[in-house]
Amino acid sequence: MKKKPTTLGQIINNYGTTFAFILAIIVFSIISKRFFSVENFQNILVQSTSLGICAFGLTLVLIAGEIDLSYGGLIGLVGAVLAGMLKQGYSPLFVSLVILAIGLTTGLLNAILIVGLKLPSFLASVAVMFLCMGTERVYNLGITTWIRDPQVLSIVQAYIGPVPAPVIYLFGIFVICYFLQTQTRMGQYVRALGENIDAVKEVGIRASLTKAAVFVVAAVLFTFAAYIETLRNGGATMFAGRQLLLYVLAASFLGMATFKAGKANFPGTLIGALFLYTITSGLAGLGIKYYLVPVVQGIILIIAVAISSARRGKIEQIQF
Amino acid sequence: MNSPIDDQENIVIRAERVSKYFPGVQALTDLNFAVSRGEVHALCGENGAGKSTLMKIIVREYQEDEGNVFIEDQNVKNMDIRDVQQLGLSLVYQDLNLVPMLTVAHNICLGQEPVTRLGTIDWKKMRFKAKEFLSEVSSQISVDVTVEELSISEQQLVAIARALTTRPRFLILDEPTARLDQHAIENLFSFLKNAKDSGLTVVYISHQLEEIYRICDRITVLRDGKKIITGSTKDIPQAELVKYMVGREIKQQVPKEIVPIGDVILSVNDLYPEKKGEDIGFDLKSGEILGIAGSIGAGKSEVARAIFGADRKKSGTISISGREVKIPNPVEAIAAGIALVPEERRAQGLVGRESVRKNITMVSLAKKFCAAKLWILQDKEKRAVKESIDKLRIATPSTEQEVGLLSGGTQQKVVVGKWLMGESDIYIFDEPTKGIDVGGKQEIYGLIVDLARQGAGIIFISNELLEVLSLCDRILVMYHGQIIKELLTQATSREELLFYVMGGRDYEKKTNNIRADH
Repeated sequence: MKKKPTTLGQIINNYGTTFAFILAIIVFSIISKRFFSVENFQNILVQSTSLGICAFGLTLVLIAGEIDLSYGGLIGLVGAVLAGMLKQGYSPLFVSLVILAIGLTTGLLNAILIVGLKLPSFLASVAVMFLCMGTERVYNLGITTWIRDPQVLSIVQAYIGPVPAPVIYLFGIFVICYFLQTQTRMGQYVRALGENIDAVKEVGIRASLTKAAVFVVAAVLFTFAAYIETLRNGGATMFAGRQLLLYVLAASFLGMATFKAGKANFPGTLIGALFLYTITSGLAGLGIKYYLVPVVQGIILIIAVAISSARRGKIEQIQF
Repeated sequence: MNSPIDDQENIVIRAERVSKYFPGVQALTDLNFAVSRGEVHALCGENGAGKSTLMKIIVREYQEDEGNVFIEDQNVKNMDIRDVQQLGLSLVYQDLNLVPMLTVAHNICLGQEPVTRLGTIDWKKMRFKAKEFLSEVSSQISVDVTVEELSISEQQLVAIARALTTRPRFLILDEPTARLDQHAIENLFSFLKNAKDSGLTVVYISHQLEEIYRICDRITVLRDGKKIITGSTKDIPQAELVKYMVGREIKQQVPKEIVPIGDVILSVNDLYPEKKGEDIGFDLKSGEILGIAGSIGAGKSEVARAIFGADRKKSGTISISGREVKIPNPVEAIAAGIALVPEERRAQGLVGRESVRKNITMVSLAKKFCAAKLWILQDKEKRAVKESIDKLRIATPSTEQEVGLLSGGTQQKVVVGKWLMGESDIYIFDEPTKGIDVGGKQEIYGLIVDLARQGAGIIFISNELLEVLSLCDRILVMYHGQIIKELLTQATSREELLFYVMGGRDYEKKTNNIRADH
């Protein structure tokens, strides 16, 4: 039996991102006066919302041992349809149903390509991403559409007590995802699927169906993230999804260096998402040029991935 | 043939004229197979004979192309895995399909987790249920640890426990003891005996003659996808069985060959492997076959991997032909003339998606088949690979066949071929015959003796005492990471070896007690 993590190395392995996150908060709080304030924290949380929710979708797919980058296009498409149809005067409820249908269709398409036709998930989902981007441009011809209905905008601008509404969505969805994945049979099968699909098939669990469901649920999460993102921006700009594309990937992989080293997990992804915007906000507060921020984020990501893959190497043993 | 188990009424699993074709291979041809209620039925055959295919058809993982399969007179044609589970059938696969990150409890209950009224997993009930089934085969494994923390023997026990959760009336075991240590094997056998008394029917696939004759009532032999014979264990002597399996007479053991033993070529001193092992020290002479025996988890593989540089060493020195060498990684080991045929061939020894040719020349490519270290001399490479395929009798349709598609024993031969091509001075074989049929084993023994005759030093690691005794000149016994005994093969007995393997001390003094126990 192995010991519980006791050495410093093991602790860093298992909780690396969490430490870095706390460290970053402390450092920024000391050297920047503006950083440690309720408003700034609210700001970081709100900014992390769509990133976080979208990353939960990706995390689910990663847990199942696949990858899904279709959100890179889906977010833009959903935003364009949302803003466009609202402008045309459709009721917000109807528009919401339409974009939900778009999300479900995209998820089903992913499932058909990856589970049904057994295409590699990376390439298939990138193809779907391009399809979504193309459809977006056909729909809005690349024109930015603003949303002006205050009632609709209040979905993201409202406060419940001191807590901005998006923060409720972020943590609400986190709790639901985390609970379903860790406490229900279906959620545990998703993990088992990613670890050893033969084991799952052998006991008579419908592995393909489970995996297909994962892609559909992920697409629904992407769609919700897109909904929040579009409303927060106050409209649909071109390429909205593309900014998030790599941030979402980064948050999920940062999460792998948290709690369960080397494995995608929801608490880790949440920390990862908050961490990314904490750094952005902290560095901005220090007056560091905006174009240097990605450099710092890149370095942090390299360290996180190094930690998580070092641990994985230990499990799989060296091949020769 | 008048024993009650031959009674037609009592047949519970029946395959009628089953044929199965895979691209390039006729796996089963017009095969009839019947198992009676309450018997332990051995299914024997060389690798690729069709044993696993037949079992996978019975549990509905594969569909037969022709013929019918009945379980208690129910045709299973349109059933899936779950349906036959409901009929009371359970299979323990040769490949342990466990989920490494989940706990033992969860692996055992996978697919049938107890749930609370809210629909969430009832962890407490699950632990309880897992404990109940695990205790049938082992009392030492905690249900709360993750499977990746268990030894391979423990993992096998978990897989068996899982098969029991459906409360099967028919249990198929595909080489269950290949990964088990001596102690666990005894536990499994006493479980099988009890279960049989309470009506369990078992199909037992095994390459271990000793086990088959100990626990099985009847034997069916398959060869090349056809049934050769079914008969009572009493009526088929061991030599006959082996003959049916291979279709040609082979000797049960390697004839002990006297090979001249030369100078010390490998000397290991005070070696402490990082993973497991304390104070390992021994000499290996050229022409010598040195056995390392010990139950699974004793640290045999860890020592081999540390010498080969595949795992780190805490301390210790290694000298080759009297000169101390540093071996921090396998590349240095190969340069120093050491070859390791590793235990887990699929994980450690082969690139499954690549061809037989590329796998065989992987180690030697740069040394032997490259011009100016830049391009590959393909004709020369192909010729050498063909020679190797003929010499080792590797059953592959061509040099370009994807290794992953070959049977287990054939894959192992490819690994051996790879290292032979590298022409090393010191060969470490780590369980080279595990899961391999009798004929294949003989060929590998022959190869090892050949290498020794050519002056190589051989370290032969095995869990099977008989093969260690028949092949090696000298045997080191490992127990809990230490070498506790060195035995000369000529001056020892199977009992003595087993005694030390099981961790006994001072054989001479206790011999009398042991004799009494038997």
